[in-house]
Amino acid sequence: MAEISFPLPDLGEGLIEATVLEWLVSPGDQVERNQPLVEVETTKSAVELPSPQAGKVVRIHGGPGDKINVGEPLIVFEVPDNTAGIVGTVPKEEAPKRRVRLSAVLDED
Amino acid sequence: MSNSMLESEAVVESPASATVMSMQQALNRALDEVLADNPRTLIFGEDCGRLGGVFRITDGLQAKHGPQRVFDTPLAESGILGMSVGLAMAGFHPIPEVQFDGFAYPAINQIVCQIARMNYRSRGTMPMPITLRVPSFGGIRAPEHHGESLEALFAHVPGLKVVSPSNPHEAYHLLKYAATRPDPVIFMEPKSRYWQKGEVDLARHDAAGVSPTGAKVMREGRHLTLVAWGAMVARCLQVAELAAEDGIDIEVLDLRWLKPIDAEALAASVRKTRRAVVVHEAPLTSGLGAEVAQLITQSCFGTLKAPVERVTGFDVPHPSGDLEDEYIPNIDRILFGIQRVLEYKRG
Repeated sequence: MAEISFPLPDLGEGLIEATVLEWLVSPGDQVERNQPLVEVETTKSAVELPSPQAGKVVRIHGGPGDKINVGEPLIVFEVPDNTAGIVGTVPKEEAPKRRVRLSAVLDED
Repeated sequence: MSNSMLESEAVVESPASATVMSMQQALNRALDEVLADNPRTLIFGEDCGRLGGVFRITDGLQAKHGPQRVFDTPLAESGILGMSVGLAMAGFHPIPEVQFDGFAYPAINQIVCQIARMNYRSRGTMPMPITLRVPSFGGIRAPEHHGESLEALFAHVPGLKVVSPSNPHEAYHLLKYAATRPDPVIFMEPKSRYWQKGEVDLARHDAAGVSPTGAKVMREGRHLTLVAWGAMVARCLQVAELAAEDGIDIEVLDLRWLKPIDAEALAASVRKTRRAVVVHEAPLTSGLGAEVAQLITQSCFGTLKAPVERVTGFDVPHPSGDLEDEYIPNIDRILFGIQRVLEYKRG
């Protein structure tokens, strides 16, 4: 297993920090990609941050009311070694599906 | 029976040396062995050292072989390749990585104007034994510049060799082969196949008579040849299974080397099947499919039942996210291409 840390991303508009309002996941939870992780408040607005990847939550940083700087650790995931790519997702191996049928008169000359 | 006898038998019998691993693990193992075999080999690139690569291909290699031989570079591809030129001149065997296909563009000047030409320019006194690893092609839902197919660009440049493995076995052996060549090799790893496992026979690459620089028949068939490389080989093998349900017997040829292309293998296969479809992820226009179609036409014009069909990406930038499913040749688009060839009428 490998651990992957996700820092607080740049939330835009020159904001350098955010305050944790509520964690929506806990250590031990298995999360999916794009699943909301945490609600944070900036001087502009309150936003839910989606998970950048699937994985098991190992650690979360900061409780409600704590300030976290952009780039500081926010959450740490545990992922299997063989899927620990940082960019993109592992393609699912599915049984091949088809809609097209072949028809041909084959002269064996 | 002593242990040493068992070991010597393992070298002779291929099943004993076969092991199941992912392409990611096969590439990692090949790099580990190349580092151990040749003290002048160096591995470097963005995140290649401490992190072990964004796809973990170089995982553990820095810890094992030291930060002098496996190291991180700044985020500057022209620097990674420029440094490779100097190291090669000084007698090293660099195995640089550009982290993603689309990041090769900033290094094109070093690749095309220096690496590809130095041996020619120096009348053979400055060979460039550089193996450039490029995680390539699409299929992992990544953003722009992370899903491109640059094989035609590289193949067009005199002085470069281009190769792409289709499965863990090919990845292990082709990387070990490429890394021991005196020439620059662009090694295009199909990143959507990094995680699929397959059997790797560590002791032997190909059956007797198959050249490591040639194409390889992955499935024999009588009615039509599917020509592919990289990730499209696995998809074509799936298509061949489905076509068999309809009574169509398809041969799948893994081109492996995209420069130089094994024209003899293309000719041998299509002389038998008399029909061919070439499949690639890259855009259609001036893609390598055109070269393959011409090589087949050159050798098989008299016996072809239909013009060679191309099933490819579209003439647009490689799309992000779910649009990949529409862009990369899927099973139905390949089957349609096969049907067009099967029903072609002369005149």
